[in-house]
Amino acid sequence: MAERIGVYVCKCGPNIGDKVDVDAIVDDVKGIEGVATAKSHNLLCSADGLEFLKSEIEGEKLTRVVVAACTPKMYEQKLMRACEEAGLNPFLMQMTNIREQCAWVTPDKALATRKARSLVMAAINRAPLLEPIERKEIEVQADVLVVGGGVAGLEACLSLAQKGRKVYLVEKSPCIGGLAARFEEVYPTMECAPCMIAPELQEVLQKENIEVFTHSEVEETLGSFGNFSVKIRRKARYVSEEACIGCGACFEPCPVEVSNEYDEGLSKRKAIYVPFAGALPNVPVIDKDNCKRFKGEECRACEQACPFGAISFDDKDEVIERKVGAIILATGATLLDPKALPQYGYGKLDNVVTALQLERLNASNGPTGGKVLLKNGKEPKSIAFVFCVGRKEKEYCSGICCMYSIKLAHIMREKLPDAKLYCFYSDICVPKKEHQQWYDRVVDQGVEFIRSNGTVAVTADKGKLAVKHGTDSSGKTVSVDMVVLAPAVEPSSDIEKLAGILDTSRDDHGFFCEEHALMKPFATALEGVFAVGSCQGPKDIGDAVAQAGAAAGRVLSRLVPGEKLALEPMVAVVDEDLCSGCKTCILLCPYSAITRDKEKGTSVVDEALCRGCGTCVAACPSGAITAKQFTREQILAEIKGVAK
Amino acid sequence: MAKPKVAFYWCASCGGCEEAVVDLAEDLLKVVDAVDIVLWPVALDFKRKDVEAMKDGAIAVSFINGAVRTEEQEEMVKLLRKKSGLVVAFGSCAHIGGIPGLANFWDRETIFERVYKDVPSVRNPEGIYPQQKTKVDGVELTLPEFYDTVYTLDQVINVDYYLPGCAPPPDLIMNAVTAILEGKLPDKGSVLAPDKSLCDTCPRKDSKPEKLSIKAIRRPHEVIADPEKCFLEEGIICLGPATRSGCGERCINANMPCRGCFGPTKGVRDQGAKMVSAIASILGVEDEDKVTEEEVESLVKQIDDPAGLFYMYSLPASMLRRKRMG
Repeated sequence: MAERIGVYVCKCGPNIGDKVDVDAIVDDVKGIEGVATAKSHNLLCSADGLEFLKSEIEGEKLTRVVVAACTPKMYEQKLMRACEEAGLNPFLMQMTNIREQCAWVTPDKALATRKARSLVMAAINRAPLLEPIERKEIEVQADVLVVGGGVAGLEACLSLAQKGRKVYLVEKSPCIGGLAARFEEVYPTMECAPCMIAPELQEVLQKENIEVFTHSEVEETLGSFGNFSVKIRRKARYVSEEACIGCGACFEPCPVEVSNEYDEGLSKRKAIYVPFAGALPNVPVIDKDNCKRFKGEECRACEQACPFGAISFDDKDEVIERKVGAIILATGATLLDPKALPQYGYGKLDNVVTALQLERLNASNGPTGGKVLLKNGKEPKSIAFVFCVGRKEKEYCSGICCMYSIKLAHIMREKLPDAKLYCFYSDICVPKKEHQQWYDRVVDQGVEFIRSNGTVAVTADKGKLAVKHGTDSSGKTVSVDMVVLAPAVEPSSDIEKLAGILDTSRDDHGFFCEEHALMKPFATALEGVFAVGSCQGPKDIGDAVAQAGAAAGRVLSRLVPGEKLALEPMVAVVDEDLCSGCKTCILLCPYSAITRDKEKGTSVVDEALCRGCGTCVAACPSGAITAKQFTREQILAEIKGVAK
Repeated sequence: MAKPKVAFYWCASCGGCEEAVVDLAEDLLKVVDAVDIVLWPVALDFKRKDVEAMKDGAIAVSFINGAVRTEEQEEMVKLLRKKSGLVVAFGSCAHIGGIPGLANFWDRETIFERVYKDVPSVRNPEGIYPQQKTKVDGVELTLPEFYDTVYTLDQVINVDYYLPGCAPPPDLIMNAVTAILEGKLPDKGSVLAPDKSLCDTCPRKDSKPEKLSIKAIRRPHEVIADPEKCFLEEGIICLGPATRSGCGERCINANMPCRGCFGPTKGVRDQGAKMVSAIASILGVEDEDKVTEEEVESLVKQIDDPAGLFYMYSLPASMLRRKRMG
């Protein structure tokens, strides 16, 4: 049966009406084979226009509709719904844009009309080749993957688990809690951080619907919002989490000693270790790179010492697959390595430390049991805090360093009442409601604030450290025992790999890029993928937790169990009778939607993963892949139509 | 009942297609038994006037090989079309232009200059080129016109079926002859060979990596190809993925990559463009994010004579058809 095409040219009020001779086009196309009717309308997207379209489809018994109007991005969906309501498969409508592409690009009405006519002809020529497409939906996957077990990740896990969602928490280190677990006291409440987060850690570890993968990394993610498939690599721990009770009998006999990264290199640890006292889960891990056994030596010291037979050298990495509907990234941050800025003497001069190192010296679970000591074992009599280390080089203010340095100065004041304390700052950034008071307080406590505007240089000075500030002759020098640097906050080292796996973008500073700085600061541009806490930008604990809560809330409201998710209708289709299994397409798919059917020897497109981008269609050397709604015949017909 | 009449004819071809008929071996006797050959210039002494004398449609089927590039060839194929019920384009040249089709990268003038003057074995200081009309001792001699462009058979006359290959393998020829004799032919316009590309039947198929990415291009003479590995995996461009199967993998079995003589697969118009698109897609794709523009360019530059390589057999049938005439 010949198709009955209805052609409708919208005037869009004066937008198209004044710039394109709509009626001339309508008259011109009326006689074309297959065109049952052609009409103009003042505003097709209006309620009246949509009713008109519906009555036309029904009254004229149309089998195809051509709409020439504005960009399909505006109202195509609306017009498609109207077709559907009139009983026409919505994919049998061909829309062409004569507003943005014709009316708005030239003041010359004749030229605009000529181009609009060409586009309408192209659409008419293509219309008979359109094929009905059935919309498909799948049930959403309401479970969630949280990457990073710091305060933000914990908050996200608990908020989601509270509502009964299954949560998978992946943490790269052997314990959860992130940086906060390693701080003695945190501002502005000066609470003991490990005590503050301990109940949350316990809850996360014990909650049935939270599955925790420590010492693990995300290896692959496929799919999209509502339907991700993720692969998690659980690295071999060589200690059974079930059998080990955390007695610590294995540490002592281990003959290996290496620098402990969890104490910022201030202490030594064994090749079998827990990061710090009280780390959760309280199960050691064998550091394969340093263990003698893994270097080929015959050592079983820890195995022999373990009373519970929990050590297993045969442990292997495991790759675990899980289905989730959303992914919350909370991989946190680290500090810039100040070695990159030699003027501060870090790494060369003794007693020049970072704020994180001072946190560990101050921590009761740290290397000195909470005593702040110099390299020579004595208490410092004077300390200089240097703010804004790397701010100029990084070109951003981390926003939290002033406050944590003020906090550390306060703690030092209490701990070392007689010590001279100096703060070298450029600008004081204490923006929150409690922070200004803390600044005022340490000033009252006799901490001397010196504006250095980033000109600080540290040199050795007869067993002490000379802190010079100021550039001109007025530059002064202060002599201290210890220098504490507050380096810029930067994203943790694994962010690049993770961004590559997820295909999420990062900003100029390397942090995950938010979808919108003001309206959606916790979401990435990828639907269903959120970035919260310091992996999105430097943040203190409160802000990180707030963002995590926001993302969790978004997931709870948008990803409801039992709801359906509409799949992309315009997917790629492989013709099995033509596919020779040459495998050209498999690696190309940006969504990893193509696999090989080993039995048939052909490629298969997973409709749930395909986004209809067409990469495989262009690459298929034997023309076996077709993109629905963009078949070769349709495109050729459109091109020929333009030339008519 | 009279046996069906069959004609074989050759245009711009090498003679390999005639060999292919002889390659039917004992089967040739079956064919000769079943049909009445009324024209076969390479083997039998029938003339053009014999064909002209026949009634229109008297020949059941004409197998025409070779591309069309002269006036005489055009006249003959038009004559055969008129006298034949079916016309089968036999072999790559008639089907898609074949090797003679590469001449479409030049024109008559440059070809004549090369062939009749510049070739080292030719001495022609006066620059004498073939002429359509020449007077010799007062007598006018004529030659058919040599065209600027090489045409596929279906660009000159209607073609009912295509037997692809350089040359078509005996099994496909026998299948075609049997189908014609038994009247079990597919839709008009069909290529009488499988629809899938060569990878489907390639003996190296299973060794091909699941994820294919080419990091460097190598030409067949630069390496001794591993006889087990997919050529593309080794960086040797093989047109197999874009070429119809049915050839019996003759080149592959001789450890040479496919050059595309069977033409595109079903539904594809431009075999060369398809292969260019596929190669462009997989070239260095694994490190796509890290590759600089310059590196991409140097990778692409490794492909020597891309037009001649990707369109080795199919230039006249492609969307390019020929080099633009000046």
